[in-house]
Amino acid sequence: MRFTGPSGVRFKEVRVTDDAAAFNPSAADDHGALLEACARGERQALQQLYALEGSRLLGVVARIVGDRGIAEDIIHDAFVNIWNKAHTFDATRGSGKTWIFSVARHLALNHVRTRHREVTVDDETADRLDAERAQEAETDMQDHFDWLGHGDLDRCLAQLAPERRNCLFHAYVDGFSHPEIATRMDRPLGTVKAWIKRSLAALRECLS
Amino acid sequence: MSNHSASRSPLGPEETEDLAGEYVLGTLNAEQRRDVERRLLEDPQLQQAIGDWERRLQPYTAMVEPVAPSNRLWPRILRTLDSQEAAQSAPADDRAAHPAGLLSRLWHDLTLWRGLSFASILIATGLAAMLAFSPAQAPSSRYLVVLMTPQHTQAGWIVQASSPRQISLKPVGTFEVPPGKALEFWTKADDWSGPVSLGLVEPGETKQLSLDDLPPLEDNQLFELTLEDDTGSPLDRPTGPIQFIGRAVEL
Repeated sequence: MRFTGPSGVRFKEVRVTDDAAAFNPSAADDHGALLEACARGERQALQQLYALEGSRLLGVVARIVGDRGIAEDIIHDAFVNIWNKAHTFDATRGSGKTWIFSVARHLALNHVRTRHREVTVDDETADRLDAERAQEAETDMQDHFDWLGHGDLDRCLAQLAPERRNCLFHAYVDGFSHPEIATRMDRPLGTVKAWIKRSLAALRECLS
Repeated sequence: MSNHSASRSPLGPEETEDLAGEYVLGTLNAEQRRDVERRLLEDPQLQQAIGDWERRLQPYTAMVEPVAPSNRLWPRILRTLDSQEAAQSAPADDRAAHPAGLLSRLWHDLTLWRGLSFASILIATGLAAMLAFSPAQAPSSRYLVVLMTPQHTQAGWIVQASSPRQISLKPVGTFEVPPGKALEFWTKADDWSGPVSLGLVEPGETKQLSLDDLPPLEDNQLFELTLEDDTGSPLDRPTGPIQFIGRAVEL
């Protein structure tokens, strides 16, 4: 079986999987080309980006903001932003797909961080709560996310303890703040902050 | 080290990497995020580090189940693009001569601030003050509120107050109210216990209000429009999502 791309280019036979990128080998590069077309004022290109990624972007944003209506507002703003700023996209600095996901994700993160003022407790209370939690907590060996098989970071993520991977993904996927992660993981806030900082450093080390 | 005096000092390589990772991961608070977004404009190392983390982590967004957008979303995006273009192509003479032109220019200028940090919104508000209060308009106006989407990316309405007791709410964009829903207008000053309803608002229509039963308008007073059932919120506070929000600036 052969597939014909939008421009009539024929792709070699590929196995059909859930992964759209595998289905269409040029998908990753298409996003950059579509952004360049947006910068030239071609609305059809924006519509194609919307058709390609709209539901995935909405899934990512809805997970972070926790409200379908607000998530749609953010996707509206994200696509207007993508249209207005397409000329600033620089293909030499990253893929178009990464660019549009980061536009939408950061709008969602700015929304939840601005809307929910962080609850702070005084240092003494925080220390006491931390000490209690540290004593009670058992080691959580279970992964909360089915993370394997998605990206080049797999090899390095595998070197982290499951608990630490959970912290990273509760932040990246759920959009949780440090205190929210501490609550979800039932771990002291200071521990969670230190874990995340060290995990990021360990990932950089592993990649270098 | 001192966090106060040195908050905008150059970052070391390690600090740059740490900040970039936490920014992309999403763990920074609102203030820290604004700081990163300001630094980003003039720090190529930080840009590079953030780009690297975006690239490494983006594939893991595939863990999230997609959610199909409603059929209304794409037409809504197109309408916004249309109104932007209409504002851009309005003849320059018209814009200078008529209040409606001024409003559409204001609308356009605000759209240029899309996606920028909250600091930029303050600049945009200053700009709005200049345009909306030119001599052709209301010379005695004393307060201005630009009501923006919660993400501060788009202006939808302006509140002008010629006195602390007399305000008008004017649309500067298009907004489509879903069937069975209505926009409700609310206000709250800093020291009030909760917001007070100023009634339902028709999209696209200017509304005049006297605040006779309320304390006089004050600086920084909050105004918002929420989406409620068409009879308004059943409670004495908003129950639906915020569509537009802004604070009063004394002029």
